[in-house]
Amino acid sequence: MSMQTLEIRRSSASVLGSLSGLRKATTVAKYIDTSTCIGCKACEVACQEWNDLRIVPTEQTGTYQTLPTLHADYWNLIRFNERDFDGGIVWLMRKDQCMHCDEPGCLAACPAPGAIVQYGNGIVDVNPDQCIGCKYCETGCPFDVPRFSATTGKMSKCTLCVDRVSVGLEPACIKACPTGCLHFGTKEDMVALGNSRVAQLKANGFANASLYDPQGVGGTSVVTVLAHGDHPDWYSLPADPHVPWGVKLWKKVLRPLGVAAIFGAVIGAFAHYTKYGPKEVEGSSDSDRNRPNA
Amino acid sequence: MSTAAPHAPMDPAIVVGRTREDVVVGKEIVRHRLWSRLAHWIVALTFAVCLLTGMPIWTPVFGWMAHLFGGLSVCRVIHPWAGVAFFLAAGIQFVEWIGDMHFESWERDWIGPRVFRYMRYEADDPRTGKYNGGQKLYFWAVSLGALGLLLSGLMMWFPTSFPKPLMELAYLVHDFTFICFAVSLVFHIYLGTAAEPGTFGSMTRGTVTRPWARLHHPRWYREVTGEEPRRG
Repeated sequence: MSMQTLEIRRSSASVLGSLSGLRKATTVAKYIDTSTCIGCKACEVACQEWNDLRIVPTEQTGTYQTLPTLHADYWNLIRFNERDFDGGIVWLMRKDQCMHCDEPGCLAACPAPGAIVQYGNGIVDVNPDQCIGCKYCETGCPFDVPRFSATTGKMSKCTLCVDRVSVGLEPACIKACPTGCLHFGTKEDMVALGNSRVAQLKANGFANASLYDPQGVGGTSVVTVLAHGDHPDWYSLPADPHVPWGVKLWKKVLRPLGVAAIFGAVIGAFAHYTKYGPKEVEGSSDSDRNRPNA
Repeated sequence: MSTAAPHAPMDPAIVVGRTREDVVVGKEIVRHRLWSRLAHWIVALTFAVCLLTGMPIWTPVFGWMAHLFGGLSVCRVIHPWAGVAFFLAAGIQFVEWIGDMHFESWERDWIGPRVFRYMRYEADDPRTGKYNGGQKLYFWAVSLGALGLLLSGLMMWFPTSFPKPLMELAYLVHDFTFICFAVSLVFHIYLGTAAEPGTFGSMTRGTVTRPWARLHHPRWYREVTGEEPRRG
């Protein structure tokens, strides 16, 4: 990968969309295998260090999880979900972060031009320069990822280490993983890797294993292997994520209709004046009306 | 008194009369007392600020408006506070005007095709009082709309305090209400200025002429001139 991958594919609040395609950029993806994650949190630390995020005090929630949820200064969180099975308790650990959707709900909801962009390689990034901190993206995101930073007054989230990826390095979390449950590469390669791992899991008795790459948002640039693929909720993942209907209705239907209605009203008033003219008061001539205090 | 004088002295009776309402002073009738006009213009000013700071956030088509305030992030800071100010002003105006805004049974058809007949200048009625059905409709729409904008706006101000489906609804309510506001405002301004000469003065000097009152609000004219006993 090189800087050319920073070609912009989509940009928030742009009237004509962002027309890209000058250069060919391959969509990249993270691969997460929840079945081989040991919950060591090396990826959490690597994320904090590389992105130079401030220290967030741990919040005890009765599990090994560092924080109850993602945080403006904590973009990578291992979720420790416990399930009761016949044989005892099973940990279903999953690395939670921005999923970098192909059809990002955050970007659809964002009102600030260029505040959220999707690069040619599929990475979805917040541009703090343009962000106005309205938090619309929190409503737009089906994965509950973007967070408002009280320090900066802007939104923040995982960048998929776009600064590393653009110079040919893998994201910090990937580099830190000791078990090899994290990989980085082209989306195509990561999906192939995921499918082979799913086949392996199925052969080993996990009949419902699957690769989580939700098509409701056009697929994501984070593909996750789930041993219990029939229950993504066990991993705190939505079963069928999509850009919220309300956001689509708001941006795709109501907004263009509203713009047309407002311009239509102005044109309508002019047309009315042209056709009907003013409703003159009888007995008051023009000279009367124009005289002061008349 | 010469018509050439740029500012002819005002009849002292009008100056006094303008603090009251519905009184005949010489050739003119005081339609809106000072306090009423102030309330209206505070509503107008605060709404204009809301409009100019909100529309660039709504769509990039109106993004140029943000430059009037120093950018979109400034708009984002001003808009909610301007919204609160607008709601308070609309509340004062509501109290000031509600007494004259009750629909009479014969006026109900204004909620319908009569609005369009009025725009063709075909819906004049000798029973029209101080406000016609369209004005009453606009009053109630503005008052109800202000409440809708406030409630949805407060949610949009603090979106993380509400469940997501409710937030989606808030954005839709805020947008829909605003669009109705913007469209009707265009016609409100048009009717108050270009379309109906003599009307704008009722919101600046506070007065209208007798012929104006006879044409637009015949029953009100008969009431203030004593030709007919006043109602309610």
